[in-house]
Amino acid sequence: MLISLNWLKQGLGHINISDDELVKLIGARLVEVEGVIDQTHKYDKIYCVQVKSCEKIPDTHLTLCKIDDGAKALDIERDADGYIQVMCGAPNVHQNMFAAWIAPGAIVPSTCHDAEPFKIGMRKMLKQYDSYGMMAAADELDLGEDHAGIVELDPAHARPGMLLTELFADLDDKILDIENKSLTHRPDTFGILGFRREVAGILGQKFTSPNWYLQAEPTFANDTSIQLDIETDPKLCPRYTAVVLETTGQAVAPYLTDQATLLARSGMRAIDPIVDATNFNMLLTGQPLHAFDYDKFIAVGGTAEPKIIVRAARSGEKLQLIDGKEITLNADDIVITSNDVPVALAGAMGGADTAIDANTKRVILESATFSLYNLRKTQMAHGIFSEAITRFTKGQAAGQTLPVALRFVHDCADFLKPLAVFDSQNAQPEPPKVSVSIDHVNRLLGTDFGVAQAKELLENVEFKVTVTGNTLIATVPFWRTDIHIAEDLIEEIGRLSGYDNIQPVLPLHASATPNQTFALKTALRQQLSALGANEVLTYSFVHADLFQKVGQSSENSYRIVNSISPDLQYIRQTLVPSLLDKCHANLRIGYEKFALFEMNQVYSRSDGLDADGVPQNAQRLALVYLDQTSQASFYQAKHYLLELLRRRGLQVELQPFLAAKDHTNVYYEPKRSADIMLGGQLLGHLGEIKATVLRRLKLPVGTAAFEIDLDLLVATTGSQQKQLHFSQYPFVNRDITLTVPLSADFASYERKIRQCLDAAALLYRLKATSIYHAADAPSKNLSFHLEFAHPHKTLAKDEIQAIMKQIESIK
Amino acid sequence: MSSVAELKKQLKDLNLEYAKIKELPKEERAAFGQRINQQKQALEQQILEAEAQAEEVAVEALDITAPCDLNGAMPEFLTADHGSQHPLMTELDRVIAIYQNMGFDIMESRQLDDEFHMFDSLNFAKGHPARDGYDTFRTEEGFIPPAHTSTMQHRVLKAYRHKLDEGKAIAVAVPGRVYRNEDVDATHEHTFYQCEGVYVSKDCTLGNMLAILREFFEQYYGQQLHIKTQPGYFPFTEPSLEFLIEKPKSLGGKGDGWLEMLGCGMIHPNVLKMAGIDPAQYHGFAWGGGIDRLVMLRYGLNDVRHFEAAKLDFLKEFTC
Repeated sequence: MLISLNWLKQGLGHINISDDELVKLIGARLVEVEGVIDQTHKYDKIYCVQVKSCEKIPDTHLTLCKIDDGAKALDIERDADGYIQVMCGAPNVHQNMFAAWIAPGAIVPSTCHDAEPFKIGMRKMLKQYDSYGMMAAADELDLGEDHAGIVELDPAHARPGMLLTELFADLDDKILDIENKSLTHRPDTFGILGFRREVAGILGQKFTSPNWYLQAEPTFANDTSIQLDIETDPKLCPRYTAVVLETTGQAVAPYLTDQATLLARSGMRAIDPIVDATNFNMLLTGQPLHAFDYDKFIAVGGTAEPKIIVRAARSGEKLQLIDGKEITLNADDIVITSNDVPVALAGAMGGADTAIDANTKRVILESATFSLYNLRKTQMAHGIFSEAITRFTKGQAAGQTLPVALRFVHDCADFLKPLAVFDSQNAQPEPPKVSVSIDHVNRLLGTDFGVAQAKELLENVEFKVTVTGNTLIATVPFWRTDIHIAEDLIEEIGRLSGYDNIQPVLPLHASATPNQTFALKTALRQQLSALGANEVLTYSFVHADLFQKVGQSSENSYRIVNSISPDLQYIRQTLVPSLLDKCHANLRIGYEKFALFEMNQVYSRSDGLDADGVPQNAQRLALVYLDQTSQASFYQAKHYLLELLRRRGLQVELQPFLAAKDHTNVYYEPKRSADIMLGGQLLGHLGEIKATVLRRLKLPVGTAAFEIDLDLLVATTGSQQKQLHFSQYPFVNRDITLTVPLSADFASYERKIRQCLDAAALLYRLKATSIYHAADAPSKNLSFHLEFAHPHKTLAKDEIQAIMKQIESIK
Repeated sequence: MSSVAELKKQLKDLNLEYAKIKELPKEERAAFGQRINQQKQALEQQILEAEAQAEEVAVEALDITAPCDLNGAMPEFLTADHGSQHPLMTELDRVIAIYQNMGFDIMESRQLDDEFHMFDSLNFAKGHPARDGYDTFRTEEGFIPPAHTSTMQHRVLKAYRHKLDEGKAIAVAVPGRVYRNEDVDATHEHTFYQCEGVYVSKDCTLGNMLAILREFFEQYYGQQLHIKTQPGYFPFTEPSLEFLIEKPKSLGGKGDGWLEMLGCGMIHPNVLKMAGIDPAQYHGFAWGGGIDRLVMLRYGLNDVRHFEAAKLDFLKEFTC
């Protein structure tokens, strides 16, 4: 929303701070100001000039003019009378008119925010005429859309040589760009009146709304020959006020008006007097208005007198809008109908069939409020984001439909005569009262306001406040639809006096309980990165293609139905596919060997819902190990896994791989993968990725991965007592090699060695050093390095030999 | 099951069949094309399965219990200079460590939640336009990958309300991953991280909230900081504010600029009520802010897309 600072200041008392300070104060106490557009030099060197003579150039659309600039422009060639020669292409240029002339050296205002503003100068036209500066059209002045003719200025006020900014003093303006979002609950601030009231409040000034706003009474008697039925559903349309008016003359604006410049400075455009008056009043109060052609309205409905029915649209109904587009309505839309025939999409746009035009004799002016919930859906369904609907979706107050309608009547008195007013709501509801004790205010804010101070703050923005003891009872003005409970008043008091005046004080409270999952993740992150692995974050969403590549079933995934990007279709079931998906790009740029890991949440439909009725989540760690130069990645990945667990004092058992029923682990090669068991529970999987999967992802054969459940790891950490292998007696060092059948599994022999050592109650460290297989041999050699000692004595030579003999005879 | 070669030949024949579509009358083409496509898809699926099966037969089992391959070298870790921690995660760790030192318990946010936790429990009226501001993703079932960590407020209040009975305060920080359904560019990501704070006690004030937030950022940037606020709007807090800090020296601040860090406010009585806490007895405050931005500010990054791209070139900048 754009707010003209000049307009804002009108009606405020004396402001003894600079504009910058005022903007800062607005930012601190009302709403974020995203930017200030300084237009104070936008109209420099633009003069009111009188056209003294016009000479049509034959066979062109051009007119050679002499203009009187009151001799204000410097360094310019003038004729004997002191007039300046300007060529003009506009058809409406005529002798004695007043125009806005952009002097040589000035910037054309419509280009002033461009990267290269256009500076006007002297131009040679038709190879023979010198033309100095230009007489400007409304669009060039950035004051309208019109480019058909040049702007004509009111001869009653314009004088040759007057600056345009003397004629329209408010043109030297600063425009505040307001962040709408934090005013979502404040429909009143979407009109300058409400915004100004707030600014008065934060400046400590007492604001009084104009009488026409507070006490709206028609100044004319209803013409009883005019009848109008209004039928509304109060849920969809809390109030519908309509005024019937007749035209009393052609509504044309011959000269540029203050109002047109104001519309422009508020981000809108002057169009025609009736539309301009609706827009002006919307900018003034936040209340959008709409004008229908009364006679067309009757014709569409086929009745003698108009009958307005506001109702929910019927699904599939069609309506041609004023912009020519035909839309298909749905049941959430609200329509204005003429005797049940839709003529406007409520709050959004009028229909083509009832639009006012040059022949309009009578007008129905609509001033109404609609359900913001429905309008929000209308906005989304039809993609209409007008100034009006932006205001309607904040929920305009029903109390202002009549005042604003009558204000429109007043503004259009020159060309519209009011005939009758009709209103769906005859009695004004009693204004609500909200109470708050000053203790409550101070307890919530940490302040020490007195009752009188709080009362004044609220009264400044037109709450009526009575005080009983420590309690303030505030009567809520009709435009404050956001005030319902004591906390709402507390917000007003804190905000208007400035939150920044509240003293920050640290509270005392107890110490925290560490979160074990977080602590675990921090430790894993540090350890894995120190072991050369790279932590990554990948999206929680995956494309169906990835499921297809790795073989997972999309049926087991929660599917996103409204994503604007096709890449985000499903919520991932496991982390490994996302990691695999990121490997190829790294290979391609030259990384041959790396380990990527991620810790994140996953969701599978097969896991069902938790106690809150939302999908069960799982915390996972996954690591992918890839080596372009080796096919032994399985053992690399395993090495990482066991090291992480060893550091937590945990031992796991690797068991033959079992395919999961929900296909979540389908991408592991079953013959080269394992289930990781921790204390009898499945911690996760470790394995080589299937060759087909790797081929689809363009990854080297043998790439391996593991994924483990961090929740189980947290639950188990500390459950196994850490074994110390320390002794004060000397350790014996030995290397052993066992020759075993080629098909034998390594662990069974390692276990046998351990059993020998355990049986002798020794302390030991056992480390595999190699697995050797000679070509074609039926056996393989398992080599270990062994250190052992006795906890209570130095081992004698024969004791050592006995142990070694036992180990070497393992079969 | 036919062999891979046979299936591939069938697919080739089918493709030739498809070329005949031009000879058919127009009205039959669609149905014909559809039928061929279905057959084609079925065949392609069969080829994939057959290939997988053929490969499976050829796969040699490995000894999962062994430390290395037959005749293979013993595995070795990559060296530390290869490794890296993700900058978003180290930043989150720093944030969490400060909150923990300040006495906040930690509860991680969920990545898939529902309308109730995301909106209803936070005093968003049903169908209120304020819900649109969050551009939420939705699943078929109506679940929501949450758009803010506030989705955990109701759970936090319920899980910790026993503390109030024990005469203590609820003080919890909630880090987590959140999502907005928007196009990705240098300054917008659909996936990002936030950290929420929730504090409830008998006598806490807005002044306490400002002090806690200032304390946090002073710890975080290691210097004293000026703070300021501006009014905001969130349905779940009343009053609602935006919290700003002066630009810290470590980010090139010279005492003039301001950084908008988070949204905050006093928890709306309805939010407390819904979680079974009596707003007449207790009140609280809550806040939430982005983590990605902290990292971008710290390293002067200007493209948010680096974070989830998993490119080693970027990640290795963060080698320990």
